[in-house]
Amino acid sequence: MNAVEIKNLSKSFGPKMAVCGLDMTVPMGAIYGFIGENGSGKSTTEKMICGLIPTSGGSIKLYGKDYTDESVRARMGVLIEAPGCFPGLTVWDNMMLQAENLSVPNAEQEVIKVLKTVRMEGAAGNKYKNCSLGMKQRVGIAMALLGDPTLLVLDEPLNGLDADGMRIMREVFTDIIKDGQHSIIVSSHLLGELQKVATHYGIIRHGKMLVEMTAEELDASCRTYVALHSGDANKTKMLLGCKYSRVEEDEAGYIRVYDLTTPEEVVQYLYSNGICVTEIKTDKIGLEEYYIDLMKGGR
Amino acid sequence: MTENRGLKFESPTFGERIKGMLGVDLYRLFHTPLFYIFLAIAAIIPAMVSAMTMLPDQSGQKMEPLYSNVWQIIAATKTLYVIEGIADYANMNMVFIFGGIMVSIFIGHDYKSGYVKQLFTTHAKKQDYMISKSLVCAFAMACMCVSYFIGGTAGGLLAGYETDVNIGSLIVAIFGKMIMSLGWASLYTFLNVIFRRYFGISVASSFFFGTGILIIGAAAIVESLSLPTGFLNIFLYGASVNANLASGIGSLLICIPVSVTWAVIYNVAGTWLLNKCDVY
Repeated sequence: MNAVEIKNLSKSFGPKMAVCGLDMTVPMGAIYGFIGENGSGKSTTEKMICGLIPTSGGSIKLYGKDYTDESVRARMGVLIEAPGCFPGLTVWDNMMLQAENLSVPNAEQEVIKVLKTVRMEGAAGNKYKNCSLGMKQRVGIAMALLGDPTLLVLDEPLNGLDADGMRIMREVFTDIIKDGQHSIIVSSHLLGELQKVATHYGIIRHGKMLVEMTAEELDASCRTYVALHSGDANKTKMLLGCKYSRVEEDEAGYIRVYDLTTPEEVVQYLYSNGICVTEIKTDKIGLEEYYIDLMKGGR
Repeated sequence: MTENRGLKFESPTFGERIKGMLGVDLYRLFHTPLFYIFLAIAAIIPAMVSAMTMLPDQSGQKMEPLYSNVWQIIAATKTLYVIEGIADYANMNMVFIFGGIMVSIFIGHDYKSGYVKQLFTTHAKKQDYMISKSLVCAFAMACMCVSYFIGGTAGGLLAGYETDVNIGSLIVAIFGKMIMSLGWASLYTFLNVIFRRYFGISVASSFFFGTGILIIGAAAIVESLSLPTGFLNIFLYGASVNANLASGIGSLLICIPVSVTWAVIYNVAGTWLLNKCDVY
């Protein structure tokens, strides 16, 4: 059984189709990285899963039940856009209100537990409106964690978090799915961070699912490349461009050769043309480059 | 309760859901300044109106008193569908206007803060939301009626109005207005659900309906055509003016079913709307 199973989902806002025939499967125990450009339909899809907007067509099943079933909805934790907190109340009060809404037993202990999880126990007495962006984001995640949810839907949860905050979130996410029953859908534009935790990916474009894959499948389909530094970058690029079909310089100044080749072959070729290679390595493209390639239609 | 691969899915009962939601709404009501500000407004306005009308004007002469009796600040002396003077309207009916604005702000905060998003993504049902808001706002408006009574009475006594009254009718009038709060609160909740994305329009529509502008217009038409006015009692405003200083227990028999019926109608309509439209 899958945590989320979406078939042929569509949503239109007047004449505009925001989501169009989307299929999506989130297995139990997965951290599902949901990726797409701005306006690709990610948030709309998430809002439909969360029951915030009605669907125009298709079906959404959560743990085998219709998404409107209150028994599964009772086990959902959500952070969409920004946490729904009252600015004039304290973090603690906001958390307690949500616990009350969810009829969480032992609400106080549960609130303390989730605030500790996101390292916000020291700021419980702060008014929500006085919290920084990162703190607000942590509160939102803590709120989503209340009531032991089996499915977490988190829209851009890493926004505004500092490096430590991101590390904590990664730990929290991996901890949650340990038992193989809890699942998380995370959408984020921070693909490097997402790649560190996601077990599955779904890439959406123009309201349609372009590709769904596991982390292993992504790894297998990510191309390898040879990256090098040399004394004369311009001449090196020109020479490599004559022999290989795709040569690019990355942000760190490495010249990358994407064709199937070996470092030895590249070094030998450059040496024979009077270029001395000072550093060379082979690597694989990451999620970010894979995604950019996909968006460019390069794959 | 159903169990899937060791995962338990329990459907919370209506009682559990509504208890949680009422708890949250009541907590918010008592822990935000909004409620207390409106309680103060409900007390100060009638006190000011009654006291100011007894003050001498610029020429040093006493103004024409707006009321002849303290209790006219609370309710009209008879059932008046069409007001004959400002004093006929400047009574506890004003609470329905203050209440409308309070409900708009209260519900507006739900949407502005994103609280509804947090609410409806879990097991909360749209009908629970409508019921909870209607009940809590009705409670707030009933409290405002009490506050109005205290302020109006104090102002009237200080202004030196007469105090003769049929106690039974006065009690019925006050209870009648408090009972009508449920219907009015449900109307405002419904209006605010309709205009949930437009706070200004929510407030304006609550004010517009709070003044009973439509029913006053309808009553004027009915009267000018010499039609029987009794059927106006089926509306919120019509039933509200039935709670007056000439009321008997029969007035409550009008107020209770009218208030409850409209509350049900507005709750059903609001639930339908929330189910059909984008919540957030």
